[in-house]
Amino acid sequence: MSHELTDAIVNMREDEALGLVKSMLDAGTDPAQVLEQAREAMTELGRRFECEEAFIPELIMGGEIMRGISEELKPHIKGSGAGEKRGTIVIGTVHGDIHDIGKDIVVMMLDINGYEVHDLGIDVPQETFVAAITEHKPEVVGLSGLLTLAFDSMKDTVDAISAAGLRDQVKIMVGGAPADQQVQDYTGSDGWGSDVTAALKLADAWTGGEAR
Amino acid sequence: MTATGEELYKQREQRFNDIVALKKPDRVPILPLVVHYFPTKIKGLSNRECGYDHAVRTQAMKEAVLEFGWDFAPPNGMFGHDGYEAMATKQFRWPGGDLPDHEPFQFVENEYLKADEYDEFLADPNGFTFTRIFPRIAGSLEGLGQAPIPPLYWLSNMYYLQSIGGSLAAAPPMRKALEALLRLADAADAYNGAVTAYTQEMAGLGYPVTWAAPTIPAFDIVSDTLRSLRGSTLDMFRHPEKLLATIDLMQVPTVAFAVQAAQMFHNPRIFIPMHRGAGGFMSEEQFEKFYWPTFKALIETLVAQDLIPMPLFEGDYTPRLKYLAELPAGKIAAHFDKIDRKKFKEILGDKMCFWGNVPASLLCAGTPQQVKDDVKELVELFGDTGALMIDGTMGIPDETKPENMLALREAADEYGVF
Repeated sequence: MSHELTDAIVNMREDEALGLVKSMLDAGTDPAQVLEQAREAMTELGRRFECEEAFIPELIMGGEIMRGISEELKPHIKGSGAGEKRGTIVIGTVHGDIHDIGKDIVVMMLDINGYEVHDLGIDVPQETFVAAITEHKPEVVGLSGLLTLAFDSMKDTVDAISAAGLRDQVKIMVGGAPADQQVQDYTGSDGWGSDVTAALKLADAWTGGEAR
Repeated sequence: MTATGEELYKQREQRFNDIVALKKPDRVPILPLVVHYFPTKIKGLSNRECGYDHAVRTQAMKEAVLEFGWDFAPPNGMFGHDGYEAMATKQFRWPGGDLPDHEPFQFVENEYLKADEYDEFLADPNGFTFTRIFPRIAGSLEGLGQAPIPPLYWLSNMYYLQSIGGSLAAAPPMRKALEALLRLADAADAYNGAVTAYTQEMAGLGYPVTWAAPTIPAFDIVSDTLRSLRGSTLDMFRHPEKLLATIDLMQVPTVAFAVQAAQMFHNPRIFIPMHRGAGGFMSEEQFEKFYWPTFKALIETLVAQDLIPMPLFEGDYTPRLKYLAELPAGKIAAHFDKIDRKKFKEILGDKMCFWGNVPASLLCAGTPQQVKDDVKELVELFGDTGALMIDGTMGIPDETKPENMLALREAADEYGVF
């Protein structure tokens, strides 16, 4: 059964995956186990993305199937239903930039991979990042941006985190299409990435997880 | 004897044409494909001001061309913000709208066409666009969605056109929409007037304008503006046939408009921004099914009409080089964002010139020496054929340091004279 569900999700057979979840629940399978199997499928999709066997459409469709499965499971799961968190991450698109597609994919995959993710949205002022770090005490902060103006906004945000005395408590990654080593150096952040794989690798490394 | 503006214009255009045709030019040109706020920012003008005042913007553009030694004059590259205002558009946010004066205009991606509306849209694309899409993208046109508009063919006689059509036009929401369209027309007149004056002035000074008309590949127009990235990728699995039908529907005017616009503006160079076809964005199977056929047909049609397509291959196209090799050799001014330069040279060096790819991060945050080193690397790689034009990854970033902009020119003069 487990292989069937994982296989259906990984191969984008949405109706079959949702049907399997229903029949598993009807047969009395532990919902936590169903969720775990679905998560395994998403991890596999992440792995395939990394080695260029799956692409953004598969991640988005996989996320959509996961959403459907979570809806199905909700009435059956008591409490949060979540296992131990891998780490906490505060993430957002920096001020002046309203793009969210890339960030949303990163948020989805971090969440599926067991992180507690606090998504601050788009055009996020530096003070909001500082407040969220104070409140949630994340190990990792993700600054996203598509526009070149984001370089300065990212730098401002890193500076504000330092000024608030929080810099030593967090690792900061900058991400988005134009991110590179130069942007990491310019912003004074700790890592950079232009896709979801890079974000996951950095987060794992910084929270002491296993390297992917 | 100093060359006249006309002679310089011909020289610069010839240099560009030679590079596209893979004939070695006399030197490497600096050719910004897209320029938004860089020329006005360095003059201390706000983004808001240059979005509304076309004369201020074109003056700054002219000065940038002269100051930084660009070989072509970039086109205006942004829509007049008075036009956004007339439409009360919801598909763009802009400085002077709800964004602060120093921020750039930005596109608002959304599912302006919902997945469950495909059938209705495909059955009557014009009617659906008029009554459903327009109100969603333009607040001023919301009235079009409120009035009970009959099929237009029913009004194909003066009985109904005058009585029903007249009453419809007189209804307050419709009147508001019509008045907004007239304001848009005024804004368009002012904008086009400024563009024409700029084009003529730059031509007099010896500078061709890089391009006059853009056309967006059919997949991108559907994904960017109708269905969104999320919507269009879900469609690949849930509604592939409807997605393909919509792409095919868009392809016809996409090609026709590009050809018409080239004739109208007397400029054979067609800018083609490409957003969703890059490596990572879809598999090869998906690319071959949803993206490549219409894109390739667009390029081939433009080339057959003696036009010069200028695709901006946004994202990393290294995994797509084998497809690019199928395009007509020596006919395309291909501009690259991120790409493995060496692989490009290996696979496409004898088929296509190389344009762009100086990292935005370098222009904004690097030093002049780093910029010069990057240009040097490009010239060393492509200097044997000279099939090279210098520009940033996506044109000139707004935050480019002026000294880095100058470094581009200096490096091209130092290393790129053959």
